[in-house]
Amino acid sequence: MSTRFPSLSKVVPSVVRQSHGLQRFMLLLGFALVLMFVFVAIFAPWLAPYDFNADRSGGVVFGTQQPPSADHWFGTSVGGTDVLSRVIYGTRTAVEVIILAVLLSALVGVPLGLVSGYLGGWLDRVLVLVMDALYAFPSLLLAIVVSIVLSGGNSGAVGGIIAAAVSITVVFVPQYFRVIRNATLSVKSEPYVDAAKVVGVRTPRILRKHVFSNVSSSLPVIGTLNASEAILTLAGLGFLGFGIEPSAAAEWGYDLNKALPDASSGIWWTGVFPGLAIVLIVLGATLVGESLNDILNPLLRTRGADTSEADQAEIEHEFEELTGAPSVEVRSVAEPGDHVEKKVAALSLTDLAVTFRTDAGQVKAVNGISFDVAPGEVVAVVGESGSGKSVSSRAVLGLLPSTADVSGSARLGERELLGMSSGSLRPLRGDRVSMVFQEPATALNPVYTVGWQIVEGLQAHQKISKKAARARAVELLELVGMPDPAERVSYYPHQLSGGQKQRVVIAMAIACDPDVIIADEPTTALDVTVQAAILELLLSLRDRLGTAIVLITHNMGVVADMADRVVVMYRGEIVEQAPARQLFAAPAHPYTRALLDAVPHLGRENGPGLVDDNEIVLKVDDLVVEFAGRFGQPAFRAVDHVSLEVRKGEVLGLVGESGSGKSTVGRTTVGLQQPTSGTIHVSGNQVSGLSDRELRPLRSRFGFVFQDPASSLNPRMSIGQCIAEPLHVQTDMEQSQIDAKVASLLDSVELGGGYAERFPHELSGGQRQRVSLARALALDPDLLIADEPTSALDVSVQARVLELFTELQQRLQFACLFISHDLAVVDTLANRVAVMQHGKLVEIGPREQVLGRPQEDYTKRLIAAVPVPDPDEQARRRAERGRLLTDIS
Amino acid sequence: MATAEVLAPLDPPDAGQPTRRRGGPNPLARYLLVRLALLVPMMWVLVTMVFVLMRVIGDPIQAALGGRLTADQIAERKAEAGLDRPILTQYWEYLSGLFRGDFGTTLTDNREVSDILVVNGAATLELAIWSLLVAFAVGIPLGRIAARYRDRVPDVLLRLFSILVYAAPVFFVGLLLKLAFAPFGWPSSGRASIATELTLQDVKPRTNIMFVDAILWGDPALIGDVLKHAMLPAIALGLLTGGVFLRLVRVNLLQTLRMDYVTAARARGVSERRVMNKHAFRNALVPVVTVMGMQVALLLGGAILTETTFEWKGLGYQLSEYLIKRDFLAVQGIVTLIALIVGAMSFLIDVIIAFVDPRVRF
Repeated sequence: MSTRFPSLSKVVPSVVRQSHGLQRFMLLLGFALVLMFVFVAIFAPWLAPYDFNADRSGGVVFGTQQPPSADHWFGTSVGGTDVLSRVIYGTRTAVEVIILAVLLSALVGVPLGLVSGYLGGWLDRVLVLVMDALYAFPSLLLAIVVSIVLSGGNSGAVGGIIAAAVSITVVFVPQYFRVIRNATLSVKSEPYVDAAKVVGVRTPRILRKHVFSNVSSSLPVIGTLNASEAILTLAGLGFLGFGIEPSAAAEWGYDLNKALPDASSGIWWTGVFPGLAIVLIVLGATLVGESLNDILNPLLRTRGADTSEADQAEIEHEFEELTGAPSVEVRSVAEPGDHVEKKVAALSLTDLAVTFRTDAGQVKAVNGISFDVAPGEVVAVVGESGSGKSVSSRAVLGLLPSTADVSGSARLGERELLGMSSGSLRPLRGDRVSMVFQEPATALNPVYTVGWQIVEGLQAHQKISKKAARARAVELLELVGMPDPAERVSYYPHQLSGGQKQRVVIAMAIACDPDVIIADEPTTALDVTVQAAILELLLSLRDRLGTAIVLITHNMGVVADMADRVVVMYRGEIVEQAPARQLFAAPAHPYTRALLDAVPHLGRENGPGLVDDNEIVLKVDDLVVEFAGRFGQPAFRAVDHVSLEVRKGEVLGLVGESGSGKSTVGRTTVGLQQPTSGTIHVSGNQVSGLSDRELRPLRSRFGFVFQDPASSLNPRMSIGQCIAEPLHVQTDMEQSQIDAKVASLLDSVELGGGYAERFPHELSGGQRQRVSLARALALDPDLLIADEPTSALDVSVQARVLELFTELQQRLQFACLFISHDLAVVDTLANRVAVMQHGKLVEIGPREQVLGRPQEDYTKRLIAAVPVPDPDEQARRRAERGRLLTDIS
Repeated sequence: MATAEVLAPLDPPDAGQPTRRRGGPNPLARYLLVRLALLVPMMWVLVTMVFVLMRVIGDPIQAALGGRLTADQIAERKAEAGLDRPILTQYWEYLSGLFRGDFGTTLTDNREVSDILVVNGAATLELAIWSLLVAFAVGIPLGRIAARYRDRVPDVLLRLFSILVYAAPVFFVGLLLKLAFAPFGWPSSGRASIATELTLQDVKPRTNIMFVDAILWGDPALIGDVLKHAMLPAIALGLLTGGVFLRLVRVNLLQTLRMDYVTAARARGVSERRVMNKHAFRNALVPVVTVMGMQVALLLGGAILTETTFEWKGLGYQLSEYLIKRDFLAVQGIVTLIALIVGAMSFLIDVIIAFVDPRVRF
C-alpha cells in the first residue's frame, strides 16, 4: 500500500527531499548564493558605504584607481568611485532586471507556447517560424537593437531597467515558447488528454487542468536557467555601452568595460570584483536550475526496480488471496535431484541473489535462486512483473548497472561467472552465453547496418577477416530466415520490420555457437503470427545446434509451446520448478495453480451467446479513415470501408494485429479522429462529422477505457477528481451529489471510498484500470469503447479486471466495443467477434463461429498462431500450423 | 522455395512491412530539399525582421548625421539613399538588393557592406575557427570523461568547471587573461603586431585570414606573431563554447549509455572501449550536433563581446562601432549578413546530421 509522508516533510521543499548527496549540496549552494544576492539587492542602501556615483565623501575626493584600503575595501575605479558600493548597487540593478525579465518572458512565452502547441494549425506554424527566427538570431545582437529602439532618449533608472528587461525578454520569449510548446505537444498526445476530450471537456479547461499543470513542472528549470542568461545578457549590454544609462544605476558590465584598459597596466581591483559578482550570481542561479533539472528529469535519475511499490503490493495481495500464505515458502517441489541428471549443466545457478542500492534504500530483486539448464534444453522462467526473472539472467552476464550487488554462484560449465572481472567476462559474453532482447527495435543500434553489428560481434571473439565475417553474417541471416540476406545485410535497422529485426538479434545471438542463449521475453513486442515464426526459429536452432535456452516470459502459452522445464518465480524466489508437462497437468504450488487458472484459454466451450433481439446502439457504416501522408507521399488509409454494429448488452470483440486499424475505429467512434467518409451512429444519433460543440451533448452516451492505465489518468489530479470530471462537464449536479456518485462508482469497481483522495501514482496498474472503468461509466453510457484495457496488466490482475468488467457489463447492459490483440481475452467475454487486417474487416460473426470455425485464411492463421497454455494441445496445434504455414508459402 | 539452410518459416507475408519509403526521389536528396525549402521562409522572416527593426529605430540619416548637417542637406542625403520613398518600395529594394548580393553602403564612411564581409567577416571566421578548435579540444574529451565517471570526483569537478566557464562572461575571462598575460608582455589586443599587419598587406592573394596570409608570406616569425595574438581571444571564446559542449556531450552520452543497444553490444562481448566509442558516442553525437548548430548564434553573439574585449577587428567589433555611431544602414547590412550566415550554418548542420544518422538518409 502507499506510504504517506509525515506532515513534517512539508517544511522542506520536495525537491530537496528528493535530492541526495552531492546533488543536494549543489542545490543548497545555489540557493544560498541566490539568497545572498537577493539580500544584498534589498538592503543595498544600508550595506553600501557610499552612493554608487559618489566620488567624494564629506568633501574629500576618493581619488582614481586607488588600491583596496580600509576606506575602500575594493579600491576605487577609474572614475574615482568606490568599487564596493558600485558592486552592491549593481546587485540591485541585476536582480531587478532579472526578475522583471524572467516574469515578462514567462508571461508572454508560456501562453503562446500552450496555445500554439495545443491548437496547432496555421497559427502554430507562423509562431514557430517567427520564434525560430528569433531564436536563431544572436541573442545579444537582438537585445542591443531592441534596447536602442526602446531607450531612444530615455535615461531614467526605472525606464532604463524596464528597457533592459524588455530587451532581454524579447530574447527569452522564444525559449519559453519552444520548451512549453514541445511539452504541450507531448502532453497533448497523452491518453489522459484524450480521456478528457472523450467526456467533452472544453479546450480552456483542458489547457488549464490537464496540459498546463503537467507542463509547468519544467518552468522552474527554464526560469532559473534563463535568469542566469539574463544576467549575462544584461552585463553584455552594459559592457558594449547599450545598457542602462550609467548615471542612473550601477551596472557590472559597464564597470567591466571601464576597467578593461586597467588590466594591461596591472590594476586588477576595478575589474575583478564586478566580474566575480557576475560569476557568483550566475553560478548560483545555474546551480539551482541544473540541480532541479537533474532531480526532476526522470531520464537522469538512478532507478531501482521497474515496478512500483503499489504494483508489488497488488501482486502480493493477489498471491496471498490465491495461496492463503502471507509470504512465499521457498519450496522447490521438484528438488534439483529429482529429475535425472543426464548431462553436465550448461548453466547452473546456485543461491543467486541480487540487491539494488537505490535512492530509497536497498531493494532485494532476487532472493537466492537455484536452477540448471542442460545442453539442448529449454528452461522457461515465468513470473509476473517484479518477480526478478529478467534481473537474474542479466546478473549472469554481468549486465546489471553498478548499483546492483550480486551474490551466490552462476557456473557456465566449469567456470564460475560471478565475481569475474568484466575484462575476463567479456570474452564469454556473446561467445559462450548470448542474449536475445525483448524489444528488437531498441536492441539494435540505429546508426549502423545490421551487417556491421553482426560482424562486430564476430570480430570480438574470432580472428576473422572483415570479408569472411561479412560472408558469415549473410550466412547467419539466411539461417534465421531473413529474406534476401545478401541485400539486407547492408540495411539499417529502421528499414526492417519488427520480426525481421528480432531475427537479426537472434542471428547475433547464435553467431558464435554459444552454449547458452538467454531469451528475455523474445516475442512480447511482436504480433502473434510473427511470434509463432520466431518461436519456431528458436526451437529449430536448439534442435540443430544443441544450445541450451533460458526463456524468460510471462506468457503461459509460449511456455507450453517451448519449454522442457519450467521455473516459476515470485518476488525474487522460485516457488516451483518442474518439467513442463507435469507443471501444466499437476501444478504443485498454489501460486502456480492460480497463475494457470488466471490465463484465459482460447477455445472455450461455454462463452457468451448472442443477443440479437436488443436494439442497435453503435452503427458504423462504410467507415474510411485516412491519415495525410508526409510531404510528397500518398495518404495512408488506416480504416478501409468498415461496417459493424453493436447491440445493447452486447460485447463485440474487435481483434487484429498492430497496424490493422482496430484502434482507429475505436478512436473515430468517440470523435477523437474524424472519418474521411462513412457514418457513425450512437443510439440513433449521428456522431460522425460533428464539430466538437455539436458532439459535446452526445458525449455522455459513450465512455472510453484506454490501454495504458498509467498514462490515461492525469497524474496531477486525485482519483476522485478524475472520476468526477465527466460529471462536472456533462451534468449540473451539486458537489455533494457528485461526491456521492464518485463513492458509489468506486464501490462498483471494488475500490473503497478512501481511494478518492489518492493520486494515480499511488495506485497499482490494476487499480488504475478500475478507476478508468469507473470514469468511463460515470455518465451511465449506452456504449463503452475499451481499447486494449488489460494488455498492460499482469495475468492474475488481468483476470480480476476482466471478471469485474463482465459483471458490470451484465448488470448495466451497456453495449461494448472491446478492442484487443489477445484472442483468448476476447474469447472469454465477447458475444461476437470482428477481425481486422490492413484496415479491412476480414471476418465478423458470432464468437464460437469466428474463433472456432473461421472461414477466412487470415483468421485461421491468426488463431493457429496463438499458443495455448497446454503442452499437449500446443504440440498438436503446432503440427497443424506447420501445414498451414507451408501452405501459404 | 526455401533452401535447406533455412530453419524457420518466413514471417507471414502480411506481418508488418519494413518501413521502406514508397517510391519518390532519393530520400537524402528529398530531405535536403525539404530542409532548404524550410530555410527560405525562415530567412525571409529574419531579413524582414531586420528591416522592420531598422525602420522602427527611426530615420537613419537623422540618427547618424543629425546635428552635423542642415535640414536641407539631410533631406538631400535622404533622397540620395532613397529613404524618402514609400516603405514598401524601400523593402522591395532591400530584398532585391540581397538577391544581387548588394547589402548596401554605410552612411558614416561610405563602405560597401560586402567589403565589410570580406575584411571583417574573414577576421570573425578566423576567430570562430580558433575558438571552435579550443571548444572541441576542451568539450569533447572532458565530456566523455565526465560521463564515464558519472557522479564521481572527476565528474563533479568537470561539472563545476563547465558551470563556472558558463557563468563567467567572456569579457571577464578576457580581462582575467589580460591580467595574467600582460606582465609577460604577451599581446592582448589586435590580430597581429602593427609591423606584421603592414607586411601582410602585400600578400597576394590576400585572404584576410591572418594565419593563412602569414603562411602564404612564408615567414615563421609572422606566423608566430599571428598565433600569439589569436591565443587569448580563442581561449576566452573557446572556453565559453567548450563548457556548453562538455555538458552536451556528458548528458547525451549518459542517455545513450542506458539504451538497450548498448547493453546488447555488451552482451555480444564487445569491449567497453568500443561500446563507448562506436555505440554510445556516435549516437550521442546526433543531438549534440543539432544543439551545436544552435550554438552558432551564441558563438556570433560571444564574438561581438570577445572582439570588443580584444580589439579584434571582426564583424562584431565593426558592428558595435557602427551601432555607437548610430549608422543604421551599416547595421542593417551587417545584421542581415549575420542572419544569412546563421541560416547557412543551420543548413550545414542538417547536412552533417544526415551523415551521422542513417535514419535521415534512408
